[in-house]
Amino acid sequence: MIIAETCRQALKDAGVNPDRMALEWASAAEAPRFVELITGYVSGIKSMGPLGTAEGESEKDVIRMHLKAGIKAASARKVRTALGKLAKDMNKSNDYSPQVISEGVANKVLPAFRKERLTQEIQLCLAEQGPCKSADLCEKTGGGNKEIEKILETLSKKKLVKKKGSSWY
Amino acid sequence: MTAEVFNPHILGFFCHWCCYAAADAAGVSRYQYPPNVRVIRVMCTGRIDVRFILEAFGCGADGVFTGG
Repeated sequence: MIIAETCRQALKDAGVNPDRMALEWASAAEAPRFVELITGYVSGIKSMGPLGTAEGESEKDVIRMHLKAGIKAASARKVRTALGKLAKDMNKSNDYSPQVISEGVANKVLPAFRKERLTQEIQLCLAEQGPCKSADLCEKTGGGNKEIEKILETLSKKKLVKKKGSSWY
Repeated sequence: MTAEVFNPHILGFFCHWCCYAAADAAGVSRYQYPPNVRVIRVMCTGRIDVRFILEAFGCGADGVFTGG
């Protein structure tokens, strides 16, 4: 459940409608129920249209860039630790309601994921498209001005990016 | 008649013991259901990770259906 909720929020962060991801249960003996679920789900997706056209979604290329960075971010150590910690906390408090899960993921896992995704995406952008101004980076990655500045600073401390005039490379 | 019908690419992650068997049973008893789902069988739904689902969308899937 934690993983499913993380997926949903990560997809939202990457500009994909979270309803495209479904988690359902059907036991081995429930063939009619399975058929019902699949039929309902497929017609739902059909009404949404192809990736990048549903409500609140960015363009396909933008989504692809977000996802590329997101895949790397999902296996990052910080995100993994956050997931583990959340699971431990929930085990302690013994409360597994969807609301608690959703809040926990939003407060503990998503910030780590988002930061990691933006970091990865800045590096991807700079590697693929050459020098960029920080405002351009904000637009491409979908991050706030302050967030991007902070990450660029950290990256330049690690000597992964350099500044020349007003553009980064 | 040239209007193109949208056929979504849907990726299904099915648990070997539950949903995969249900899909099998549905086939055996000849229920009709949409052919858009490409199935990946996993030994347990717990095996599925955030990364898998992001990669599926990254590869151009229009939807991911996880069946436990």
